[in-house]
Amino acid sequence: MSLINQTSRPNASLKPSSRRAETSRVYAHLLPIIFPEPTYKFLGLSLTRPLNPHCTALFDPLTRSAWIPSSGDATLLWQRGFFGKGDLSRSEPSWLARQINARKMKGKALTSEEITAKRRAERKQFKLDRAKAIAAAAAEAETAFNEQGRVIAPGIAPDGTRIIPSAATWKPTSAPVPSERSPLDVGPDEEEEMEPIQDLEHLQLSLQEAFFLVWALDCLTILHPQTNVSFTLAEIWNTFQNAHIPSLVPQPNAPSPSRFDNPFLVSYVAYHHYRSHGWVVKSGIKFCVDYLLYKRGPVFQHAEFAIVVIPVYEDPEDQANSPFKLQNAEPFTWSWLSTINRVNSQVQKTLVLSYITIPAESRVSPKVLSSPACFAHYSVREVVLRRFIPARMRD
Amino acid sequence: MQNHPSYPVLSQLLEKYPATGGALFQVYNDLTLAQKWIDVEVLDLPACKRAAIKGKRPTPDTDRVPSICIVVPCSLSESISTSWLRAAFTSLDPLPSEIYVVITSEDTSTVYYKISQGIVKPPV
Repeated sequence: MSLINQTSRPNASLKPSSRRAETSRVYAHLLPIIFPEPTYKFLGLSLTRPLNPHCTALFDPLTRSAWIPSSGDATLLWQRGFFGKGDLSRSEPSWLARQINARKMKGKALTSEEITAKRRAERKQFKLDRAKAIAAAAAEAETAFNEQGRVIAPGIAPDGTRIIPSAATWKPTSAPVPSERSPLDVGPDEEEEMEPIQDLEHLQLSLQEAFFLVWALDCLTILHPQTNVSFTLAEIWNTFQNAHIPSLVPQPNAPSPSRFDNPFLVSYVAYHHYRSHGWVVKSGIKFCVDYLLYKRGPVFQHAEFAIVVIPVYEDPEDQANSPFKLQNAEPFTWSWLSTINRVNSQVQKTLVLSYITIPAESRVSPKVLSSPACFAHYSVREVVLRRFIPARMRD
Repeated sequence: MQNHPSYPVLSQLLEKYPATGGALFQVYNDLTLAQKWIDVEVLDLPACKRAAIKGKRPTPDTDRVPSICIVVPCSLSESISTSWLRAAFTSLDPLPSEIYVVITSEDTSTVYYKISQGIVKPPV
């Protein structure tokens, strides 16, 4: 059951506690695989098998991602672990629901995008009102000074009240008026005769998410986009490493030469590390970082940690010979670090620098790169960053 | 991707610039399907080795004419420079006062940045 419902009672009318209970019920499963309560035990071992949804995805080489074509699989992967993102939505694929809402023009059950749009429109109106009030107050002060030589404090009316609106006290003056429907408008009967909207959205998994589902959880199969033949694990392993070669078709042959600093491998190490500790890991592009860590998921609370992946080469020679120019592999500047820390502190996230050590080709033979067993040779170290202000932080 | 309705419009440029093809596809769909821009057309910018998108951005007030905006997509794995941005400005005719640079991520997160030539005072 998706939280996007046009017909049933909208979530906004439920009490906050029942809404929370509803959310906890919908997102109860933390991973796509469900371990059911054991009904039969033999010698203390549960004999019930885990329930595996066996989802399928199509590999897309141009966008370097895996697309989930079935909306049932998409809902399942989103609700059990928050994997993927709708390509036309902020998080969960809600494009079709928004189009249907727009068509009905009732919009009672607003999707998250519509709520945000409404909030932004109100904030814009508030800013315009405030700007006008400031300009009017300043003009009044000017005229008062020019005419009477009197200096008045702008922004304070003669009876002492503030006339410049503040965010806490401003209220939207005109409520958004739904357009009046004339009797000749589309009635409910005619709506059903209109063409059903084709769902042009899909859930898109990044390569790291897709590989985690394929290799760590074994609940996803990836198909070739044109032939629909499923890839073997070895083909997926090679194709994902080759994904940064610009191409319109998948490249399932082993990369030559195989390198430890392949961008897919380095970012996957970080993704797998945090996922296996139970964090929900999402993209951090909106906050200038690589990943965001959520304790339970984006629908519950804002992300607590922002991860920047910093690759470190064990052997500088490997970096010099590298065909890849990995981000953040060079020593960074203080201005860069301060900027990222400021951006994230402002949104109440803690910045974590995640150092991934890339093994040296002189010490570890690149032959281990033929399988995911090579991940054992990488290591992850975290450094947490907080701003320290000695004058203010004593309380 | 070949079955997506946007593919025929973009197929030539996707083949010409495969490195930025993913970003172009994602941004084109975001603008036409999610943001509902109108009169959308795709331009070829050889100086930046990619395609750009031109269209009219819908405004909430009906009395304002929708403005024509130019959008240049790029992906998170690229590194861009100011000379690249300058090339984007000069290769557009007529010279726009501002362009939007869109950075896309592999999980379809898209962030838009407005780039103007020189320092511009914020609107409100």
